[in-house]
Amino acid sequence: MAMMTGREYLESLRVLKPEVYFLGQRIKNIVDEPMFQPHLHAAAMTYELAHHPEYEEIMTAPSHLTREKINRFTHVHQNIDDLVKKVRMMRLLGQKTGTCFQRCVGLDGLNAIYVTTYAMDQKHGTHYHERFRKYLLEVQKNDWMPAGAMTDARGDRSLRPSKQKHPDVYLHIRERLKDGIIVSGTKAHITGAINSHEIITMPTRTMSEEDRDYSLSFAIPADTKGVTLIFSRQTNDTRRLDGVLDAGNPKYGIVGGEAIIIFQDVFVPWERVFMAGEYDFTTEFVETFAGYHRSNYGGCKVGLADVVIGASNWIAEAHGIGNASHIVDKLTEMIAMAETCWSCTLACSYEGYRTPSGAYHIHPLLANVTKLNITRMVYEWMRLGQDIAGGKIITLPSEKDLDSPGWGKMLEECLSGKDGVSPRDIVKMLRLIENMSVGAGLPEAMHGAGSPAAQKIMIARRSGVEKKMELAQTVAGLRKDPIFETLVGKDEKTHWDEVRKKIEERKVQIY
Amino acid sequence: MASPSRLFRGMLTIGIRYCGGCNPQIDRSRIVREVKEALKKRGLEVDLTTLRERPVDMILLVSGCRHACLESKNIEADCGQPLISIKGEMVDAQYVEEVEIVEFLVQRIRSLFEEAVEKHK
Repeated sequence: MAMMTGREYLESLRVLKPEVYFLGQRIKNIVDEPMFQPHLHAAAMTYELAHHPEYEEIMTAPSHLTREKINRFTHVHQNIDDLVKKVRMMRLLGQKTGTCFQRCVGLDGLNAIYVTTYAMDQKHGTHYHERFRKYLLEVQKNDWMPAGAMTDARGDRSLRPSKQKHPDVYLHIRERLKDGIIVSGTKAHITGAINSHEIITMPTRTMSEEDRDYSLSFAIPADTKGVTLIFSRQTNDTRRLDGVLDAGNPKYGIVGGEAIIIFQDVFVPWERVFMAGEYDFTTEFVETFAGYHRSNYGGCKVGLADVVIGASNWIAEAHGIGNASHIVDKLTEMIAMAETCWSCTLACSYEGYRTPSGAYHIHPLLANVTKLNITRMVYEWMRLGQDIAGGKIITLPSEKDLDSPGWGKMLEECLSGKDGVSPRDIVKMLRLIENMSVGAGLPEAMHGAGSPAAQKIMIARRSGVEKKMELAQTVAGLRKDPIFETLVGKDEKTHWDEVRKKIEERKVQIY
Repeated sequence: MASPSRLFRGMLTIGIRYCGGCNPQIDRSRIVREVKEALKKRGLEVDLTTLRERPVDMILLVSGCRHACLESKNIEADCGQPLISIKGEMVDAQYVEEVEIVEFLVQRIRSLFEEAVEKHK
């Protein structure tokens, strides 16, 4: 099968029959439902742009398995250029949708499983990597969107998975059979889950030997028997049912459309199992995935920043304050922060490296720094966006009132700006800023791909502070400094003894 | 390639190629120094050289981190030579902690040396 277009992707979802619930109701058709359509459109963008010549250089890649052109969202990174193009793709899609387009989690999952299964096989003599390559071929051939399911519900965070009162707060193996495994448990906050073809699971944390059955990775179709998806609520989500204007970004929505996934005695055949008990590789698994995923945020969120900066500038001009120095200053701040995050993600891609599997990985320390900056700077540039937009973003009347034959016209006059600018357009732009800066996108920037504490742990672990102490000791003169000794032509002690003597004997010009 | 007679006498010339060392995760020069000492203790007299024009028996690429700036450039320039690439805490395609790199390299160099001797017999 060739790469799907956006419309073909939307149609492909009709074939699947996942068990989805929202607001207490069973949802039988997600494709035609206004509540879900914006999320589907955002994901569809990842398919559609691959068919446009002006984007295909970024959106497609040659498969290392078949050499055929594939959507980059199913590609395993083969070089530094792939890593760089991946984050360029993230920024591009952020710009085109103004929201989360969901498909990067699966992409990072595919790459993390590729890298980790190779390492596991090297140590344990298992055959996960070969199995996974076959699965990857299917993903590429069918242009599937797999939902990457890493985070478990986790229950009492002070207890290990195997010590939880409710075992199902972590996904785990209940039974090992000749032809596969039976799994149960819960994954939470899973982006794009209801509109994905497949679900690929990964361990959520470092596991110990007693958590062997929780050290687990596999792939299943999203409508596998025993899988239930509970779609999560988002800020102002039911505005989508009130009309078009009030939702803010009616085309592409807000954040990724997350879901809780409940697995109840789900059968997974061995050929789709990529980790089953190798607890000693859970740290590598988590860190590899987290590294890839955290690097993305310097791409996608900067794409969103491009949109919100544009919206803020537009609204300032519409209000007649586009040239005010405080507006220019705020916009400049927003741009500088966004480009700082962009620099971080480019750096962690350019500083990537080849793993033993042959796939390329980003620079882990820089990726975590990227994401840590995002957890702060997104709030800051959205704050400035709100500042520029003014109080109207939280006091606007509804679309229904704007349409009112009685006072609609008066409201429009009340909301007008500079002469020649449509008040309706002002409302549209303010709603977009509200959607992006007030809603669920902010905590998503905080917690998506891991909370700030998780980034700090990785930064501390990889900081090489011992080496920095050695540097300081050398500069301070606590350690031998051979290069300095070369400069002065003698050992350091002799040099300083001579300097002291020269000063004492007043053989210097200044004393 | 150095002369076979030197190889038979347990003498080896290794070309050392260092990366620029902007932010190394490992102490590159210490590793090279200790590898030489460790090989000597095991009967291999190693001549290390950073001179590009000298004929050598193998190349040791010494990059401070996994990014391995000099790898692609030198693999092309030194093509045909047996080559070992240190990339921070990684040697060729294997993760190796800094404290274990010297011993790992000694084993790798010895095995390449034995292959070269075998080839010239």
